Amino acid sequence: MDIFLILTINGLATGLLLFMMACGLSIIFGLMGIMNFAHGVFFVIGAYASTWTYALTGSFAVAMLAGIAAGAAIGWLTEITIIRPVYKNPIGQILITLGAFIVINELIKMIWGPNVIASPTPDLLQGEVNILGASISIYRIFIIVFSCLVALVVQLALTKTRLGMIVRAGVENAEMVNILGVNVRRVFALVFILGTGLAALGGTMIGPTMGQIGPFLSSQYLLLGFIVVVIGGMGSFIGSMVAGIIVGLANNYIIWLYPPAAMPLNIILMSVILLVKPTGLMGIKEAV
Amino acid sequence: MLTTKSWLKSPAAWLILAALILLAVLPLVNSSRFVLNMASSIAIAAIFAVSYNLLCGFTGVFSLGHAVFFGSSAYIIGIIMNRLGASPWFFLLATVLAIILAVLLGLFVGYLALRLKAIYYAMVTFAVAELFVITADKWREMTGGQDGLLFQVPSFLAGKFAAYYTVIILFVAVVFFMYRFLDSPTGKILVAIRENETRASALGFNVLRYKLLSNAVAGILACFAGIAYAVLNQFVMPNILDVNQTIGALLMTIVGGMGTLAGPVIGATFITLFGDWLARLAKLHPLLERWPIIFGLLYIIIILTMPGGIMSGYYKLKFWWSRSKQK
Amino acid sequence: MLLSIKGLQAFIGQFHILQGVDLEVREGEVVVLLGRNGAGKTTTLRCIMGLVSSSAIEYCGQNIAGLPPYKIAAQGISLVPEDQGIFSTLTVAENMRVALRGSAREGQKNLDFVMSVFPDLKQAWHHKAGGLSGGQKQMLAIARGLINKNKLIMLDEPSKGLAPVLVNELGRVLQEIKSYTSILLVEQNFAFSKKIGDKFSILSDGKTIMAGLMADLIKDTEAQQKYLGVSTQ
Repeated sequence: MDIFLILTINGLATGLLLFMMACGLSIIFGLMGIMNFAHGVFFVIGAYASTWTYALTGSFAVAMLAGIAAGAAIGWLTEITIIRPVYKNPIGQILITLGAFIVINELIKMIWGPNVIASPTPDLLQGEVNILGASISIYRIFIIVFSCLVALVVQLALTKTRLGMIVRAGVENAEMVNILGVNVRRVFALVFILGTGLAALGGTMIGPTMGQIGPFLSSQYLLLGFIVVVIGGMGSFIGSMVAGIIVGLANNYIIWLYPPAAMPLNIILMSVILLVKPTGLMGIKEAV
Repeated sequence: MLTTKSWLKSPAAWLILAALILLAVLPLVNSSRFVLNMASSIAIAAIFAVSYNLLCGFTGVFSLGHAVFFGSSAYIIGIIMNRLGASPWFFLLATVLAIILAVLLGLFVGYLALRLKAIYYAMVTFAVAELFVITADKWREMTGGQDGLLFQVPSFLAGKFAAYYTVIILFVAVVFFMYRFLDSPTGKILVAIRENETRASALGFNVLRYKLLSNAVAGILACFAGIAYAVLNQFVMPNILDVNQTIGALLMTIVGGMGTLAGPVIGATFITLFGDWLARLAKLHPLLERWPIIFGLLYIIIILTMPGGIMSGYYKLKFWWSRSKQK
Repeated sequence: MLLSIKGLQAFIGQFHILQGVDLEVREGEVVVLLGRNGAGKTTTLRCIMGLVSSSAIEYCGQNIAGLPPYKIAAQGISLVPEDQGIFSTLTVAENMRVALRGSAREGQKNLDFVMSVFPDLKQAWHHKAGGLSGGQKQMLAIARGLINKNKLIMLDEPSKGLAPVLVNELGRVLQEIKSYTSILLVEQNFAFSKKIGDKFSILSDGKTIMAGLMADLIKDTEAQQKYLGVSTQ
């Protein structure tokens, strides 16, 4: 029983971090039609920036802020230089964002080396707490609580603010939003930066769960991000949360039972969704 | 269809003839392993790029998992040669198995995913590629994992001349096949699908079936590239299955010119030579150890500056040349 | 003179869609753009809205061709497309809020006016727009076009697919807003257009082939048969 509880909590935590990474990808595609193959890299930027800042300052809060700032700043640069030229060019998008992925990944390897670096749990959040007889890591609980708070804030912004309405409207029909007098290009840029910032925020928290981080995370999480986006539905914020949790939980259970089956399971999940409901669990964009 | 006589008059025909002769006599001129290897590698890359171009440039289907055909064929050859022995019969068996797998894979994944919009297809093929890479990596008993798999090919293929000619013959065969295929009714229908799928469908063509056909044919051609690769290198590693390998073909196609026959071949030549030069440069300067970054920058620069590739530049030149002649 | 177009040219890809459209809209007028399917009527509207690049378009004395759609909207032009462009996952209130430029408080007066024209929408205020009936969706689309005190509202086949009683309602609405904003209407339903239009312009193959007062066209049954291709009632 306790194993199950531990696995569930861990799975929830990982799943929520996945959600943070993927929701940006999903909304960016839903709103702008851009498939950003560089998205996984922002997750890793957040991880590295925060680990480095934490080692420097000893404050996890500052480290997280640094991670978000780095992700958003590089996201802003990326939108201007890489994304804008290819808004109407799908094949160009794939190649250029992959190029950006490689460049940023290699830069990270240049600065911090290609091997893993240590990422310790901050002192305040160390230790375990006893729930129903199982030893649950406090850090994991922090991830769950914090991520849910972030999700709540974003969901409120999406539903209650005019900008949120514009984004939801734009996912349905960006041209109409333009006709109604909204500067959609500026909205696109803003959403892109928010998306990369959120991905980076997810990345700031991944380190202590494994004790270390490495450049391999970018492609691993990019792939997982795609899977979450497909399962949840492109353009759906809630969808990416649900899908993120499903994938996070499923992975954690499988890894405990038979580790090599983890990735194949994800791909099977994705294939099943594509066959049965191609728009994803909560998606509105057509897939066929 | 041009008659042989009129065809022989065009300058392109003489160039091709010259290239064929050059390829045929190269080993007599320079029999160094390095040169023959380089030429063979270019030819293999060209076969792979041409097969990719059939899907991407001519049918308009954009896959990120094309290397799966390439890599799994090479692995099948490798595994069978390694386990059962390097006899010609086993080699034949391996070849047949590789082709069958390519067709099945192409049809299966194609049927699952080709009905979806382009972006989903790209993601599904991406995931499938990763799946294969992980399998190759984790299934150590069969594939040797990250260390790769060493094997031998039958003796009549093993020598440097034999390997070279095998590859070159495959290359010429594939290019010639493409030339005829693209000119055929089927080929023209594929182009129509690329141009305007809705119209093609309205005209009564079963678009899905044609896309599946294109997928299968492209898969078989990529499979030949994989077989050639296995014969030349007698070694495989998981990275020949991954997305980077497919992107390499995409890059070659774009650089050379998508949707043309010569484009991928030209692109393959450039990119293979360039990659080799970079890798050797990296050994000299420790700074360039992260040379993949150059490729990343290359992807970006190519898209920003040269959407049409080298062939479009060539066609533009031709256009201006003929225009100026009219005056 | 609100909108003045002479010899408008436009390309979509390699296709020369518009080859000389002439159009004039004065303040307070209702101008109807008529013609068969594929004549270029929708493209003309899209050019004015900045969605398709074209040659010069004069609006309030300035050339607006080349401006992006949102800037053209800011000048006081709105477009109600053929498919209405309703955001079905948003509520009626949210649809209006997206359309309303400026703060909600400033727009309240406009909102009250618009709601007085469309009382039905007020009922459905918090319903998802996707669940509205066809007629209600059309009203919502028009309401969105009016919310910002626009000078010119362009409607692309608003009566299409509406039941006759709703078409009458649409006519009533257009008559009511006529005093507040000029209207440029694309229509295939001549019976409907002749009731509300002041002027007309007939398009064929991307060119204006006939233009003038609606009153004259109503009498000219020969032109109706020849250019509109539908039997008149």
